[in-house]
Amino acid sequence: MRMKSLIVPVALFFMVLISCNGSSDVQKESDEVNDSTLVDSDSINVSEEDSDVSYNLPSALQIAYVFGKSGAIYNSTLPNNVKNAVNYDISDYKRATNFGVYSTDLAYCLFNKKHQETKDYLKATKEVGAFLGLNQAFESDNFAQRFEKNISNEDSLVKIVSSIELKTDLLFEQNKQKHIAVLTFVGAWVESLYLANEAYSKEKNKKILASLLEQLSFSEIVLKALNYHKTSEPEIGALISEIEKIKSGYEAIASLKAVNEKNEEPDFEALSVSEDELKIISQSIQLVRQNIVK
Amino acid sequence: MKKLSKHLLFFSIVVSFLSFQTGDVLCDPKVLKEKAKDMLDPYKYDSSELTRIIYKKKESVKEVEVPLFIGEKYRFCFNMEALPKAVEIQIYNKDKDSKNRKLLFSSKSAGLDKKEIQCEISKSRHVFVDYVVPPVETGSYMGCAVFAVGYK
Repeated sequence: MRMKSLIVPVALFFMVLISCNGSSDVQKESDEVNDSTLVDSDSINVSEEDSDVSYNLPSALQIAYVFGKSGAIYNSTLPNNVKNAVNYDISDYKRATNFGVYSTDLAYCLFNKKHQETKDYLKATKEVGAFLGLNQAFESDNFAQRFEKNISNEDSLVKIVSSIELKTDLLFEQNKQKHIAVLTFVGAWVESLYLANEAYSKEKNKKILASLLEQLSFSEIVLKALNYHKTSEPEIGALISEIEKIKSGYEAIASLKAVNEKNEEPDFEALSVSEDELKIISQSIQLVRQNIVK
Repeated sequence: MKKLSKHLLFFSIVVSFLSFQTGDVLCDPKVLKEKAKDMLDPYKYDSSELTRIIYKKKESVKEVEVPLFIGEKYRFCFNMEALPKAVEIQIYNKDKDSKNRKLLFSSKSAGLDKKEIQCEISKSRHVFVDYVVPPVETGSYMGCAVFAVGYK
């Protein structure tokens, strides 16, 4: 009888514990980073935050801003179709990488002053963001009204999108989802590589090539960050292999090798890249992008 | 009825206990990152990083690698208010294991007690932000340092 009377409170206790530790609902999570106190050395676990080395990755907005300076002509067929957003609610990997893809597409449209497309990609980003539990980042501060009101004002839109990026970043931080933040960056970076690669293959503009090469130089830190989280999601191992191919294609560029051998910083506008070298890189970019958005 | 009251009491105790597990307000990422972001103006916000700092018996270094675009001008804004003891910020062009790395910035010049620190970086492909954590005599203290990166 006593045993029976204990079942309900014990079950309630575990229900509360589980609800406080679930990873799917971002807003329910507590912020475990909130401490500035005396701690016992033995209780310190070595996590990524406790490691001696970490990485701060750039935003999709900045990558697109820098790429925009190359003068690439806007091509409406390149961004991922907004209708695909509904297909990505199948795993955290798909949600995160495609949230990154749409973030880059949103920034691409924004910096090319494509107002309707900017709104469409914002909607797609918000939709995939909702799958990740990021609704809060898109719903605060009268964000939708401010976005609509400032649709033709690039500076204001940049501030609004930056503010969403900070809120998103805070939600990932609070919920110990650093690996999701990294996957989001990788999706954004791959999409930006794809846009630059396709733009260069069409326009053969030297500045676009320089922008593509500079973005490719991030492959090393992308791999470091992914390797840190390779056990977090089952798909990360395959993603690492695909990005390693991009990196090896980039590092095989003869003119870059010559610069690296002299231990100098590359001048991306001065590097020459053969058609064959570019073809290998191009195919690797297309493959990884295709696998992300499919 | 008595049983139900007991269960409700037990449930309330559990909820109250768990609500005390959320830590204090001294290291609030939202407050710290928003303050750092506000210091960036007129630079555009790009990203931010919160680093947990653990003070040990020996001096230690925590390093954050930051990739940059070489043609861009950047502002780094640090918020160090959630640290119980001053930590020096050093920014280098290479990581802490490299020889002949160049110091681009040190917070010593601004004064180690300053809680809000800024510096400008340009013409770099990446930088390494090092937090030089001083030793403590007893126990281990924990806090956090935050920086925001802005581009022009």
